[in-house]
Amino acid sequence: MSATLPRFFWSEYRKRRKRAALITFALFWGTLSILLLMASGQGMNTQFRVAFSGLGQTLIMVYGGQTSLPFEGLPKGRPISLYPEDVDFLKDRIPEILYIAPETYTYLPVSANGKEINRNVHGTTADFGLLRSQVPQPGGRFLNPDDVTAGRKVAFIGWKVAADLFGGADAVGRTIVIARIPFMVVGVLQKKIQDSMYNGPDAEQVYLPFQAYRQIDNRRRINQIHIQPRDPSQSLLIEDRIKTLLGRKYRFDPGDRYATSFWNTIEDGKEGMAIFKGIEIFLGLIGALTLLIGAVGVTNLMYAAAKERTKEIGIKLAIGARRRVIVGQFFLETVFVFAKGTFWGFITAFNIVHLIRLAPINYDSFGIEAYLLRPEFSLRIFLAYMTILGVLCFLSGIFPALRASRANPIESLRYE
Amino acid sequence: MIELDGITKVYKTGSQSLEALRGISLKIGKGQFVSVMGPSGSGKSTLMNIVGCLDTPTAGEYVLDGDNVAGLSFDQLAAVRNRKIGFVFQNFNLLPYATAWENVELPMLFDGKNGKKRRERVTELLVAVGLLDWRDHRPTELSGGQQQRIALARALANDPPILLADEPTGNLDSKSGEEIMAILTELWRGGRTIVMVTHNDHIAARSERTIRLFDGQVVA
Repeated sequence: MSATLPRFFWSEYRKRRKRAALITFALFWGTLSILLLMASGQGMNTQFRVAFSGLGQTLIMVYGGQTSLPFEGLPKGRPISLYPEDVDFLKDRIPEILYIAPETYTYLPVSANGKEINRNVHGTTADFGLLRSQVPQPGGRFLNPDDVTAGRKVAFIGWKVAADLFGGADAVGRTIVIARIPFMVVGVLQKKIQDSMYNGPDAEQVYLPFQAYRQIDNRRRINQIHIQPRDPSQSLLIEDRIKTLLGRKYRFDPGDRYATSFWNTIEDGKEGMAIFKGIEIFLGLIGALTLLIGAVGVTNLMYAAAKERTKEIGIKLAIGARRRVIVGQFFLETVFVFAKGTFWGFITAFNIVHLIRLAPINYDSFGIEAYLLRPEFSLRIFLAYMTILGVLCFLSGIFPALRASRANPIESLRYE
Repeated sequence: MIELDGITKVYKTGSQSLEALRGISLKIGKGQFVSVMGPSGSGKSTLMNIVGCLDTPTAGEYVLDGDNVAGLSFDQLAAVRNRKIGFVFQNFNLLPYATAWENVELPMLFDGKNGKKRRERVTELLVAVGLLDWRDHRPTELSGGQQQRIALARALANDPPILLADEPTGNLDSKSGEEIMAILTELWRGGRTIVMVTHNDHIAARSERTIRLFDGQVVA
């Protein structure tokens, strides 16, 4: 390729450099806005997913209730409770279930290291760790099947419980006392974001093997059952099967909405994701509108350039330039103006996002900052941005370029 | 080489129309040196624009080098201008930001010639017009005569068979004008067809034939 045409382009561009400076800034600002807003939108979306998964991955929780319909001669208003044996009962009959665990809890004093605090103490099984995102800190573990079967006196505690009882010291291997029974801590929950909970965040809970828990709380019934389907799309099917099976077992109408209740996080998550996706699109649109202002500036600049260069265009047409040469020249200049403004906007946005991400999140009071301080870039954002940019660049450049190329060579040569 | 048959050009502005050329028919043979004369408004420029494929006639036929160019598209006419016609304007019409070398190179760039061919041809032309040492100068750094010589070199870049010169000496002092006429004469003697618009009888006398226009018609 000849160096002449790029040099011509540069000479022509330089004449408009000062005027282009403001437009370059508008493009810089537009790019910065659209990328930061899109990164914030995606960050919020991701944080929502992270926070939601803090409760558990694709989780269905089953609770007992009270019948609201008479059934087979039995009156309405009968309480329906869940029992430990319901776990195996359901697992054996519903092949779509991947993990299942019972949970029961009560509020009790927990003491260790000369301190005493009141916390919810739970009895459950090993699958609970997988179901409820109970990831241990390094050096520890969650309750395992042997703990449950043997009724071992071990405990898995939230990180705030560990901090409250042991300060900064390692809690693993230490003993906590609940209802005068000593339990050895085998693991401490790793810090996590959790925006959905019951009875408070997992950071403040104490988990014991189900059989061991029975020694401090001998109620027969359990509070709830946790289930993870093999396929999340089967969550509603599993709900229906549970209603049918429990309805047959405890004699209530499977269509009775109040006999049992469900917290289906898979379905709730879909709604939440739709809301955050909407926010993400809305933020992207605001950013695109900001970038549009810069694009309008470029269009004006290029129309002015076409007017100023009427004579030059006339000369080029007279000596044999085809229309595509003129279109290409104007288009190249448009792309250059866009590239200059958007490149620095991209670099600045990238660095700002990385700086913001350095800010710590307070896991103790998971608030709005947890959503705002974790903007993130992705290939999807980059592709969306490049698509918007490409469309705006094309629309900004094509009309001035076409107008310039359609100049009448005779009139253009006479233009002074 | 150039055959015009019943060429009419009508300009319309609103409800008014102006007949700039009225059924002009003429032939200019290959290798002829023709000057076109006439008072202002006689249609000289319009005729030159049509002959130079910068404009199309309202009616009539124009056959250039055996091809009827009356019905060609904008880009096809551009290709004809690029390869078959060289333009020399009264006010030079060089690109102000381009060097002498680049101005001469431009028609070859539009024709897609490769770098080696362009370099050889530009060098040859700048040597021919005596301005190789001025190759890196921009038009504003050159005298009128030098600028017109660069314009001549540019007109010859793609070695077109026809050279159209619109008052090529109109903006030059007599010495520079004479130099340009000497080059044009040499080109004619080399076999090139030259059509030149001029108001100057002495300049016209250098051509072998003069076409006189009046009110859009050939009168002599």
